[in-house]
Amino acid sequence: MPDLRLTIQGGHDAEARVREVLAREGFRIVDGSRPEDGALVVEADGHGHGPAARETARRIEELERTVLELRNLDVAKSQFLTNVSHELRTPLTAIVTYGEILRDGMLGEVSPRQREAIESMIGSCRQLLAMIEEILTYARTNAQAINLQPSAFALEEVIRSVYDMNASLIERKSLEFDSVLPPGLPRVHADRDKVAHVLGNLIGNAIDFTPDGGRVQVVARRSPVEAGWIEVGVEDTGIGIDPLHHELIFQEFAQVDASRARIHHGTGLGLAIAKQFVRLHGGRIWVESGLGEGSRFYFTLPSVDAAASPALAHDGRGAESAAA
Amino acid sequence: MSAAGAPLVLVVEDSDAIRAAFTILLEESGYAVAAAATGAEAVRLAESRAPDLVLLDLGLPDIPGLDVLRRIKASPTTAPVPVVALTGRDDEVDRAALMAAGCAAYLVKPVDTQQLIRSIPGYIASS
Repeated sequence: MPDLRLTIQGGHDAEARVREVLAREGFRIVDGSRPEDGALVVEADGHGHGPAARETARRIEELERTVLELRNLDVAKSQFLTNVSHELRTPLTAIVTYGEILRDGMLGEVSPRQREAIESMIGSCRQLLAMIEEILTYARTNAQAINLQPSAFALEEVIRSVYDMNASLIERKSLEFDSVLPPGLPRVHADRDKVAHVLGNLIGNAIDFTPDGGRVQVVARRSPVEAGWIEVGVEDTGIGIDPLHHELIFQEFAQVDASRARIHHGTGLGLAIAKQFVRLHGGRIWVESGLGEGSRFYFTLPSVDAAASPALAHDGRGAESAAA
Repeated sequence: MSAAGAPLVLVVEDSDAIRAAFTILLEESGYAVAAAATGAEAVRLAESRAPDLVLLDLGLPDIPGLDVLRRIKASPTTAPVPVVALTGRDDEVDRAALMAAGCAAYLVKPVDTQQLIRSIPGYIASS
């Protein structure tokens, strides 16, 4: 009988950690097999280390069990969030639809002031829906239940659609908005909806954090450091971000300043989701900014050239997200 | 076509409130409405009422929306009826499969009601 029998489910990293601990504690692995999908069963021998080895073995098993329980709990939590979001969206959708029916006078004439009130109600509902959807998206991405549907498309189209969605806000704040794309920029090969989501979040932030009369610009170019990749940027003349917070802002639920969060309401998930989506594509996302000097967010996407040539596609694990 | 000659729209939606809202919206816009709360009911009504258009929510309690679409398209009586799919934003939907199954359009809820009403004649004409 081996002293220790472990089932490791955490993938390569967990396996490497367990092997390291076993070696350090004087265990010799006598057998390793993969009876189940992904899991590794290891049997190890303590060789005369006696009670001490068995005690270590027991603790390792206990820790592994705890890790597994926590991982299941995390999945259950994400599933719960998904269910709750669905339940919240249905009544809100009904409110928006009824609101539009009333607004458009289908159930009787509406005075200008009534119309204004209904518009405000619809707007608030749509805002709430957008926040719920953000939470849903985050939960699903966190549970790794997102599958990319890549296609080849021109960035201009997506920038245009995101601009259209924000046009009234841009106009209301008298912002200057333009996009600067070099001629002959290759199309990207990515999940169009996810790219629209990333750009929507970055452009939405840029609009929120840039004072009236400021400027928001979308730029793109071939990556100077990664062949076959496109670098996309959203640059603004807003309040900027202290370099101390450059890593924090990509974490979920992070708000640099709680008082600011009251003005620039949001879920605090926008950048965390942007980071998840960019990473799913194997790309990087980072920010260059300082207080009072505007913010410049960049991310990379594979171009059709990279998709066509596996040699140019990298796995995206080499680079971390927050570069200052 | 209904007796009054107004085009008939079959609304398939499991939420009572949303189904009622769509019914008002469509009736006030000059359409006759048949409504179904489940996929099974939708397939049955599509067969018996011969609607001019089906508005199909994809998140139904009994049958996946894509299967409802396929059943409608598999029957010779209902195959020509245009089907417009509705779903929540960010729901994981296989659009390619929807289009391959013969879906006329794919809309994200909550739909802009004015835009929907403007688009319906085009959907009906596409059949």
